[in-house]
Amino acid sequence: MYLAWKEMRHSRTRFIMIGIIYVLIAWLVFILSGLGNGLSTLAAATFKNMAADYVVFEQGSKASMTKSLLSGDLAEELMALPQVQSASPMGIVLSSALKEGGSSDEEKVDIAIIGIEPGSFLEPAVVEGEGLSPERPAFAIANESLKDAGFRVGDVFQLDGSTEKLTIAGFVRNETYNHVASVFVPIGEWRKIAFAAPGSDKGVANPVNAIMLQGKDIDPAAIDDRLPGTMTVTRSAAVQGIPGYKEESGTILMMLGFLLVIGALIVGVFFYVFTMQKTHQFGIMKAIGAKNGYLAKAVVAQVFMLSVAGIGAGILLTYGTAAVMPEGMPFNLDVRLLAFYSLLLLAISLISSLASIRKVLKIDPMKALGRLE
Amino acid sequence: MNRGLKLSSVSKYYQEGSERIVALDRVSVSVEPGEFVAVVGPSGSGKSTFLSVAGALLKPSEGEVLVNGHNIAQLEDRQLSDIRLREVGFILQASNLVPYLNVLDQLLVVRRMAGKVRAQDRAFAAQLLEELGLGDKMDRFPEELSGGEKQRVAIARALVNDPGVILADEPTASLDTRRAHEVVSLIAQEVKARGKAAVMVTHDERLPGYCDKVYRMEDGKLSPAR
Repeated sequence: MYLAWKEMRHSRTRFIMIGIIYVLIAWLVFILSGLGNGLSTLAAATFKNMAADYVVFEQGSKASMTKSLLSGDLAEELMALPQVQSASPMGIVLSSALKEGGSSDEEKVDIAIIGIEPGSFLEPAVVEGEGLSPERPAFAIANESLKDAGFRVGDVFQLDGSTEKLTIAGFVRNETYNHVASVFVPIGEWRKIAFAAPGSDKGVANPVNAIMLQGKDIDPAAIDDRLPGTMTVTRSAAVQGIPGYKEESGTILMMLGFLLVIGALIVGVFFYVFTMQKTHQFGIMKAIGAKNGYLAKAVVAQVFMLSVAGIGAGILLTYGTAAVMPEGMPFNLDVRLLAFYSLLLLAISLISSLASIRKVLKIDPMKALGRLE
Repeated sequence: MNRGLKLSSVSKYYQEGSERIVALDRVSVSVEPGEFVAVVGPSGSGKSTFLSVAGALLKPSEGEVLVNGHNIAQLEDRQLSDIRLREVGFILQASNLVPYLNVLDQLLVVRRMAGKVRAQDRAFAAQLLEELGLGDKMDRFPEELSGGEKQRVAIARALVNDPGVILADEPTASLDTRRAHEVVSLIAQEVKARGKAAVMVTHDERLPGYCDKVYRMEDGKLSPAR
């Protein structure tokens, strides 16, 4: 630590320059991770929040809600299967809401209408107003982002392409699907909206998109065998099946991966070149008795201090950026995610210094004798 | 225990392609504490190899090297760096200071390699620098010092761990005549006062006057010069 710090203080410019690069990389890593987290929340929060463990889809639907159509009556058969604690149907349809009495010029709000059994484990807790009830089929609970569009509890809104009207009974927090606000309605009401056109239910009795299961260690293959025409997957596989989800998070992850590799290379190459320049100096230190470990520790300490300072500054800048970001930007900084990427950056930087350490170990103290530099 | 430096019939060979180069050819020499010995000779004569073997940088191919009583032929690399740290003080050519440490830290880093820096180590380092006329330059960096001052720092650094053996490799290489005399006389003075066994390798014919004995190195063979 001692040597490392003395040198960093003496060669300030050099370390400040590499430090700035490090800060920029860390900053971009954190922003991308926040953006990725925000986007995936927006795309799948409703799915991720659900207390379900497995999802039963129609066979051949590739674990996608939009491609799957099942009979809700399957729920009872599923309940009878081993390990299944509870089963509840669910349906999703994308629509848009127009406030009643509003002029047609008024902005429409895109929403995802999610049909569930009132009171089932799929119903999220309201943060304002009341929950769903079978007695009030045309009442809905909506994500609180609708408040920004001017909706209040008790407001009635019309749905695009449907004659159905829904009244807001309450608001829920952090419920989005496919990048739009989720609006939960009783499953019967959902059927009226989703299958308004005659024949669009393909004659399936009590149609739904999927049936969510609760229960540990359910064997999906066993269910597929018992109920022909179905396909059971874990909830996380169902999240992956949301249209565009894999592509979206894959893009961000790829950028993050590249960024981490680039960061490692920059730090690694900087210290490698720096070490090469100091070959003679390391040779002298070894000649006067410095052990390999002592010198290697100095290199590691420099990488460590640079990384910690760079990551720290990057975190501060990221929070600063988040504070000035426009509302509605899908940016969601998660402390756990931040900690994860910080440690990953630190680890990658330390690993990248191995090349320099190898170089230090190989320096011959004989270099210190003879030739004047 | 056998203090000082003692080489008995030491040889060092290098393999260069299919040829075997004899860098040291049965060299025997003994330097007692308080004795200052010069080794002169043209470049390529084996002076550097001699210094490397005497300073525990290289192990001999044959023969026995006793550095303050430690036979280095039997030691591991780790133990060799310990010998260099505790038993040997190197004074190298001009650019041998660590550029980012100030004069006092140049000395203390050597103490630090050996363990903790205690208050008495700090005091001893300051006293050494005072003795060598650097009392007012302790917080300077090498780039702010003249060539002669740098070599005086190197002398102080060689002494700070109180080693038994002092080895100087062309300590006057970049100095003018007046400074060269100044530096070598300082080395001689410290060696005598502190009872160190000292060897200076040089090709500078002006200097051996300060030494008790002068040897000549030629083609790996060491012989008394006078």
